[in-house]
Amino acid sequence: MRWLPQKAWALIAVYFAYMLEYRGEIFFWMLSGITPFFFMSAWTMAAGQGLTDYSASDFARYFFAVFIARQLGIVWVHWNMSEDVRSGKLSFRLLQPLDPAWLYLADHIGERGVRLPLLVLVGLVFALLYPQALVWPGLESLALGLLATALAFGVNFSASYVVGLLSLWLEDATEIYNLWYVAILFFSGMLAPLSLYPPAVEQILLWTPFPHLVFLPAALWSGLDVNATRGLLSLLIWNLFFFTLGRLLWRLGRRHYSAMGA
Amino acid sequence: MRYLKLLTIFWQTSLAARMEYRTAFLLAFLEAALEAAGKLFGVYLFYSNGFDLGGWRWQEALLVLGLASLLDAFFISVFNPNLRRISEMVQNGTLDFVLLKPVDSQFWMSTQQFAAVGLPFLLVSLGLIVYAGVASGLNATSWLLLVLGAVAALTLAYAVAFLFATTSIWFVKIFNVVFFLNSIVWTGQYPVQAYSRFFKYFLTFVLPVYFMTTAPAEVALGRLSFAWLFAVIGVSLGILALSSAFWRFALRYYASASS
Repeated sequence: MRWLPQKAWALIAVYFAYMLEYRGEIFFWMLSGITPFFFMSAWTMAAGQGLTDYSASDFARYFFAVFIARQLGIVWVHWNMSEDVRSGKLSFRLLQPLDPAWLYLADHIGERGVRLPLLVLVGLVFALLYPQALVWPGLESLALGLLATALAFGVNFSASYVVGLLSLWLEDATEIYNLWYVAILFFSGMLAPLSLYPPAVEQILLWTPFPHLVFLPAALWSGLDVNATRGLLSLLIWNLFFFTLGRLLWRLGRRHYSAMGA
Repeated sequence: MRYLKLLTIFWQTSLAARMEYRTAFLLAFLEAALEAAGKLFGVYLFYSNGFDLGGWRWQEALLVLGLASLLDAFFISVFNPNLRRISEMVQNGTLDFVLLKPVDSQFWMSTQQFAAVGLPFLLVSLGLIVYAGVASGLNATSWLLLVLGAVAALTLAYAVAFLFATTSIWFVKIFNVVFFLNSIVWTGQYPVQAYSRFFKYFLTFVLPVYFMTTAPAEVALGRLSFAWLFAVIGVSLGILALSSAFWRFALRYYASASS
């Protein structure tokens, strides 16, 4: 057990080095996440007409926070899993005395190491363009927001892992993850702060994981009203749910694995 | 004619190959429906807060949304699956085989694959366009203008995507640049008038998304004079020619890996 941190660190370092090779790809991937800024632009126009309670800099702050929250929550383990099942690479992973889930997790954490400096770069450009949007959110909100993104990453990762495991039955399950992705796109608060959604829709959405994945950390960071306790609690429960489901499917699914190409 | 025949053969084989993954196809229907609902919700959100996207009536804005969805459907079914292969083939050196074939290499690289999962998206987008067109009271001439505008818009989107994808000859692992383009085209869901000045200029002059969704809708709705259609067609033909010239230029630098 004493060696656990060292093992984890070694794995992450390996994947960091591997991901560093793909820095160009990661950069463009990150750029393809800039859609929140277009929503910022449209809502700023709406604010200019005096249509919302939020000011232009409120929107700038909020959508920048949305951008960061989404970037930190990106996962692709469904893709890793599906690829490994279809190509038979999973066979080799099964021979290692380590659950493949840890390899995938290290892959994701290592990639964050490459993405973070790039995010800082985008942050600097944003700060130059919208200096009026920069407000210190306070240490507590900052920390709570980070906690929320960590939990959100957990939910995304476990959900994506569950979808990946379905590949053991369906061969290609990546399409299922798109449903999750589309739901996040429209129902997580990326289109607008949640309070601008119709109240009935807002109430329903709060019972799903989606607004807690993006709106919760973004609202904490940008100083909008949000029920942090409820959000964090909900994230914890969804983490538990998808984690358990993932473990269960992994036990059941291994027997289904046909080791293609081996 | 020969190219039309090739196209049929390519797409038939692609469809047959994808039939292996029937669940994926069924799921695509669900996904297309969910995405359409989400996109409509996105437009509704602006209107329910009183913002008319810079002076558009609801049904007119839906026409823009419909055109953007049409582009999305083509990205999913044709542009992405094909252009992704440029980067793959440069990595593996298999681009050689394409260059040796007695077929225009740009045509081959752009049409060989057809992803059936895009079909539900295509149906939904056509439904949306027809609904929005009828609700906006388009007459026969306007419909004709809309169809011409949509064809020009698709050509333009293809040409820009091909231009981006061609850079993989130098940078190899660059396919994400096409995803970047996808996300920019995504912003064409709303008329450019909805955006502030910087973004409006960006979408008109840097990446010509304006000509892909807003402009064809404006021409069909009579918000712009009929002559503007020529501008849209001109821009798309110009960029199409540019993409083809750039492809031939890039091929001179293709060094063929592992052969």
